[in-house]
Amino acid sequence: MIDLPLRVPDAPPSSLSRINIPIPCACRGESPLASTNFFCEQNLARVVFWMQPDPEEERPVSTPKRQRTATVNGDRHASPEITPLRRIKTPQKASAPTPAALKESGLKTPTNRFKAKALFSTPAKSAAPPTPSRAKNADRSAKKKSVRLLQEQVDDDEDDWDGADRLAEEILDDDDVPDPTVEKENGVVETVEADSGEPAKKGAAATPKRRAGRPKGARNKRSPTPEGDLPPHERYFFQNRAGPARTSNTTLNKLNLLTHEEYFEKLKGYADPCQKEKTFLQELHHRSFPQWDFEFDQGFNICLYGYGSKRQLLQQFADWHYHRHSSSSPPAIVMVNGHTPGISIRSIFATVVTAVLGADIPSKMGFQPVEVLELLQSSLKARPSQKPITVLINSIDAPPLRRAANQALLARLAATPKIHVLATTDTPNCSLMWDISLRDQFNFVFHDCTTFVPFDGEFDVVEEVHSLLGRKGRRVGGKDGVEFVLKSLPENAQNLYRLLLTELVSMSDQGRLSDDEEAGNGREDANKEDLGIEFRMLYQKAAEEFIASSEMMFRTLLKEFHDHQMITSRIDTSGMEILGVPLSQQEMTSMLEDLVLA
Amino acid sequence: MDPETTDADAPKDGSNTQGVYLYHPANVPKAPGERPLKRRKVLPGKQDENTTHPFVPLLDGEETAASVESRYNFYQKLWSEQETKIQGILNDADSGVLEDVLSFVRSTSPQTYGNCIPTALVTVGSNVSSLGRLLARLNDRLTTAGEGGVVALESGDAPNLKTTLKNIIRAAITNTEGNEGYQSFLTDRDGPRLLGYDLDVLGDYVKRKGVTKLVIAFRDSEAVDPNMLTDLLSLLSSWVDRIPFTLLFGISTSVELFEGRLLRSSVALLRGRYFKIHGASNCVDRIYENLQVDENGQFWLGRNITTTLFEKSTDAFQTPEAFSRTVKYAYMSHFFANPLAALLASDASPSLRQNKLCEAIRNVPSFRSFCEYHLDAGSSEYVRQLLEDDEYLFSQSLEHLRAGQQKMRGLFQAAKTIHTCLKHLGIAKDTSISDVSVHALSGELVDSPWVGEILMALKTLDSSKLQELISILPRYLMAHPDLGAIHEDLEYLLQEYKDVTPLRSEYDNSHSVVTTTVLRQSVKLSRGKAKIPQQDVDYTRIVDRFHALTEAYFAEALLNPQDLFLHEAFIIDMKNPLKEVFSPRPRYAIERALARPFDYLISTSKTSEARVSAKQPATAIVYQLILESGALVNVHDLWQAFNAVFESDGGDDCDERMVLTLFYRALSELKAFGMVKSSRKKLDHISKTSWVGL
Repeated sequence: MIDLPLRVPDAPPSSLSRINIPIPCACRGESPLASTNFFCEQNLARVVFWMQPDPEEERPVSTPKRQRTATVNGDRHASPEITPLRRIKTPQKASAPTPAALKESGLKTPTNRFKAKALFSTPAKSAAPPTPSRAKNADRSAKKKSVRLLQEQVDDDEDDWDGADRLAEEILDDDDVPDPTVEKENGVVETVEADSGEPAKKGAAATPKRRAGRPKGARNKRSPTPEGDLPPHERYFFQNRAGPARTSNTTLNKLNLLTHEEYFEKLKGYADPCQKEKTFLQELHHRSFPQWDFEFDQGFNICLYGYGSKRQLLQQFADWHYHRHSSSSPPAIVMVNGHTPGISIRSIFATVVTAVLGADIPSKMGFQPVEVLELLQSSLKARPSQKPITVLINSIDAPPLRRAANQALLARLAATPKIHVLATTDTPNCSLMWDISLRDQFNFVFHDCTTFVPFDGEFDVVEEVHSLLGRKGRRVGGKDGVEFVLKSLPENAQNLYRLLLTELVSMSDQGRLSDDEEAGNGREDANKEDLGIEFRMLYQKAAEEFIASSEMMFRTLLKEFHDHQMITSRIDTSGMEILGVPLSQQEMTSMLEDLVLA
Repeated sequence: MDPETTDADAPKDGSNTQGVYLYHPANVPKAPGERPLKRRKVLPGKQDENTTHPFVPLLDGEETAASVESRYNFYQKLWSEQETKIQGILNDADSGVLEDVLSFVRSTSPQTYGNCIPTALVTVGSNVSSLGRLLARLNDRLTTAGEGGVVALESGDAPNLKTTLKNIIRAAITNTEGNEGYQSFLTDRDGPRLLGYDLDVLGDYVKRKGVTKLVIAFRDSEAVDPNMLTDLLSLLSSWVDRIPFTLLFGISTSVELFEGRLLRSSVALLRGRYFKIHGASNCVDRIYENLQVDENGQFWLGRNITTTLFEKSTDAFQTPEAFSRTVKYAYMSHFFANPLAALLASDASPSLRQNKLCEAIRNVPSFRSFCEYHLDAGSSEYVRQLLEDDEYLFSQSLEHLRAGQQKMRGLFQAAKTIHTCLKHLGIAKDTSISDVSVHALSGELVDSPWVGEILMALKTLDSSKLQELISILPRYLMAHPDLGAIHEDLEYLLQEYKDVTPLRSEYDNSHSVVTTTVLRQSVKLSRGKAKIPQQDVDYTRIVDRFHALTEAYFAEALLNPQDLFLHEAFIIDMKNPLKEVFSPRPRYAIERALARPFDYLISTSKTSEARVSAKQPATAIVYQLILESGALVNVHDLWQAFNAVFESDGGDDCDERMVLTLFYRALSELKAFGMVKSSRKKLDHISKTSWVGL
């Protein structure tokens, strides 16, 4: 009934009522993710954590180097970051026992691990256990022994970082012992998986189901362990602790990435399920237009923040503003789109000058933005009857405008009397752009204008994602693009490209043969990334095949490839130039086939 | 956005690929879904009114135009008065430094300094804005006297020597001649055309206009490139015989640090003085006191706002200008959005009375407690009348409103008195008026230790100090008949008493005697009253009267503002608009929108619990998935998880490519927000760059 506070547009009614609901951030038992096995281990390990604060006691068979008092283990689970330090100390202690004990450890650890692997990972990985030979050589020399022990320690640490695997093992071991906690957690996980609210009495029946799901989840053995309700800084250090990356090795190779065309085509057919709610949110923002107008009137500038593109909102505000003030004479409104590549501050200022002076713009405005700004200020001073000019800046924190110098200039524009600036920001850390004096000049009042409108006009989505994934080469259109370019090149160039591809493919084939056994999926991918041929070598081969007669010519041919982003070049550690192709293995092979057949 | 409007916007967005453009209204005659506009179309007669002031009718849009008008007018009047006060304080605050600097500029010249450039070093500390004010006023003084002007440079204006010189020359000439004048200086001259950074242009200008002082001020001298500064100084010093330069450096750190950054040879070119501008907090306190403790005050800032304001200005180096702007915003929000503010207007006549406003008054919490109070007192008839008779309610409200304002004035006068007493009696010298006000506004002052200590101290005052205290008490207190009588009696007593030592009351320590008795090996101290002379007894009586009077005064004046009827109309006491508007938390807002999208999107369905579902916006889903992962995220697994969310919701009929499209969009947004970045550690991995709560 009575509007006591200045209507706060940024807090929609629902937010007020929900403001205090505590949401546990990580590792929610009821998270539907549990069913997707992406973070499955979080749940698994957490279960164990609760039911078994001290797993060592339950596991009589354990390696000597892990022998520790119960309290230490308790600590270990409470704060996993400590473990590496403690482990480093252990070798000295462990090296003291008799060779028999050593042997035992040497034997036992691998078996344990083997068991774990058999349960948790794909067979390929555990196919070649190096243990037998090691065991044979175990007592050859004390030095080797200790080195090996250290080595194992490291291996073990890698595998068993903060004991997540062992926890997982213990879940298996303890499956027979029904525990209420497990039951409960199970129930929750199950409901998500089965998508039906099955009561807890079915918990026993649910157990086999879970077992069936485990190998799937175990694939992500290296996913982060649960951190519970850690405070934010602890969480940061926990997630950034040293150690191997604990993520799975799957890649997007099988997934056909989107092209620009497909992206836009699909987007056209998309119906937003939240359309109604978003419209309502927009309505809420519309209601504060008069308030913004009043704030302008009182000499404030406005900055809108919050999630979502605010372009539409600004457009509507411009419409509203125009119609409200158009009775006497139409107000001048300048729109700026910060995300436009190549936008310059000078052009913004120049447009504002045009808005002020209309037809009588001086022929020379000056090249420096400061000059234009001063022209603007002096002409505003000379026209006391000038109506205020509204400058609406979309995304003032967009990369082209983000530089400190640009912000300083914009702040001076905003500080000019009779200029009203309404800026929008998109990024979370936008306030870092302005120090105290800029803030003072901008004289902003801030409003939360969360719109949830996607940034379709602002970002080049496909390009952004591909650069995020490190697949920039797709810009040319991947394989198709390269083929297209090649067709238009002379035969020599085609031959050179074929030669390059042949070399690369044969190299990668060799590489696969040589380290077939030890390398997992991920390492192979990493190799492929580095795959390349040395510049000199390629030149020699090209000369042998009469593709290029001189280095000069060779370089000219390569330049053409460079221009179309068909090859990559980098300098390796020894200072040699390595040439590569920004295509995947399969693409290279099929491309080579096409070239040879053609 | 319904589909039609989105379509209507689509072509507009197409034109939005331009970076900057002048807005031209689309053919749509009115903005979509805009209520005020619609109303304006219905009532075209109101159009002119609307354009005169930006206020909108409140109370569901049923507020009368007169009421809106009176709110606006009262705001304008009130704030312009307050602004004049603030401006006066600001001008007063650094007028001392201004005079010093001005006299320095006028009195020095290269000749007096042995061909060194006269230099003023001004340390500003955290009070950043004061230098700008100082320079502007210095410029005004110099230009009006026709002596020259001030060129204020910021570090951005001085990236290299050429640009700096160009900026100096242009700014110096446009300062007095305007932009056209500058152009003509460049072009209309004999001989070859000079370039913009040629100091000859400036020399010419100085000669033609008879400039005697040209101050070049660096506002943030720490940020200026020292190499450039070295070059500039040597160049300027070679021109100092033709152009009367004076340099002025604004320094935020210390003079020693500033000197340390320059070469010794450049330092040798300078000679001058050092000025200091005082901190902002003193100024802020004065502004606050002037706004609140006014004998004719009509509107006050409440306790919460005061606390927020002072927290901001102390914690965040807020400038006095920013402080006054925040206050202004508080005033603005009150008059813009509180319909009760219409009652404040001095000409609030029965014409303002309307059913809606009366209904609003009846809904105010203070009305409720007011009624409860009267019901407890047994006057239920009165309450019934208030509830039923609009006219009666309105007149009563106005009456109580004026009374309440009077009480607020009294409260602040009392607070000021306490502040004066505290200072005078030396109890808590560093308490500011704002501290006292905060306590007064929360109604705690009367029980606070300050008041207790003052009352204690009053009893032990000797006659000369009491006289002093009475003399500094505010004038309106002296009008109180009892105090006048006390004062007269005191004067009379002192005339009789001709001794040098002042009279002491019996509560004074010097009148008590400590007797020591040894009783069974334990020492017993006991205090007894010494015999006191008759005059002191008389004086004690006066002190007692004074004490009782003060106590009664404090008890009466220091009431709790929240108990006043209709305090909502004349006190604004809400933290929220101010806090959100001036210290926003954009990151929190975005994180909240993504983590709990239904806080914003008011869900129509009931399934809006806090779990990831395909109903949520795609970015929110990906964000929540990333939150649960570690520092390194496998994009493939992320995609699988994302897809699974849609699969579990949509069953088999969900289009995987469509989901991928959404996934792309979400990922690109997160990248643009700086929440993830690509990682080279592993193929197809991205790394998290922001942690919630850090």
